[in-house]
Amino acid sequence: MPQTIERTGLREKSAFDTPWNTVVWNDPVNLMNYVSYVFRSYFGFSREEADRRMLQVHNNGHAVVATGPREEMERHVEAMHDYGLLATIVRADS
Amino acid sequence: MSSFTAEPDGTVTARFDVAEIALIAELSTQLTELLANRSDDDPALQRLLPDAYPDDAAASAEFRRFTADGLVERKLANASALLSSIGSATAGHGPANSVATLHLDPSAVQAWLRSIGDLRLTLATRLGIEQDGDEGSPGEPLSDLYDWLGYLQGSLVDALDTPDAGDAA
Repeated sequence: MPQTIERTGLREKSAFDTPWNTVVWNDPVNLMNYVSYVFRSYFGFSREEADRRMLQVHNNGHAVVATGPREEMERHVEAMHDYGLLATIVRADS
Repeated sequence: MSSFTAEPDGTVTARFDVAEIALIAELSTQLTELLANRSDDDPALQRLLPDAYPDDAAASAEFRRFTADGLVERKLANASALLSSIGSATAGHGPANSVATLHLDPSAVQAWLRSIGDLRLTLATRLGIEQDGDEGSPGEPLSDLYDWLGYLQGSLVDALDTPDAGDAA
C-alpha cells in the first residue's frame, strides 16, 4: 500500500535524481570539540575524520558531511539542527 | 565550581554549586517558554530552527513544515529531562559551598549536551553574536552566562572524550 508516498509532497522523484549534499556551516557559538563530537556520534566518523571536517568548517566556513538522495540529506540536516548545528542542503553539482 | 566526570558505565556524574544549578534551571525554564511560544519572528527561534535551503524559500518552508514540530518537541523534551535531573539532584550538606551532585544516564547526558547548546544559541542571538570574533558585551551578566555555559558544554564533551568514558555513539 502507499507507504512509499510518505513525504514526497509535490516533488518529482526519480531514481536518476542528482545527489544532494549536507553542508555544515561555521558559526561563532558551537565549540570545536562539540562539532567534532557530533560528527563522530552521528555520522560515525573516526576522530581523525571528524576533526578534519570540523576544521574545514572552522577554517573554510563550511564542509560537506554527507552526499546522497535528497530525503536522506534532509534527515541528516534535521539531525544537525537537533544538535544545534547550522546545516543546509544543496545539489551536489551546484 | 562545576565539573563533569564520565563513569565507566556510561553515566556522567555532575557536581555544581547549588546556586549554579538554580541558574541552569531558571534558564531552562525560560528556554521552555520560548520554545512553547513559537513566535516565528524571534531571532532565537530562527537560529534554533534554521532554514535548510538558504536559496530556496519554498523548499525551506516545506522542510520546516515537516520538521519544526518534531524539533521543537525534542528540544522541549531535552529541557525537561535536564530540569528533571536537576530536580533529583542530591544536595550536599556543607555549610558554605553547598554542592549538588547529579547522576546523568546516557540519555540525560545527550539532553544536557543539546539543551546547553540551545541555551547558548539563544543567548548568542540576544547578545548579537553572529560571527567569529563577536564577543557580545564582556562584563555584562548575560555575556558571563554565555561564557560559563560554553565552559560547561566544553567540559561535558571533554568528559565524554576521555578514553574510559562510555560513548553514546
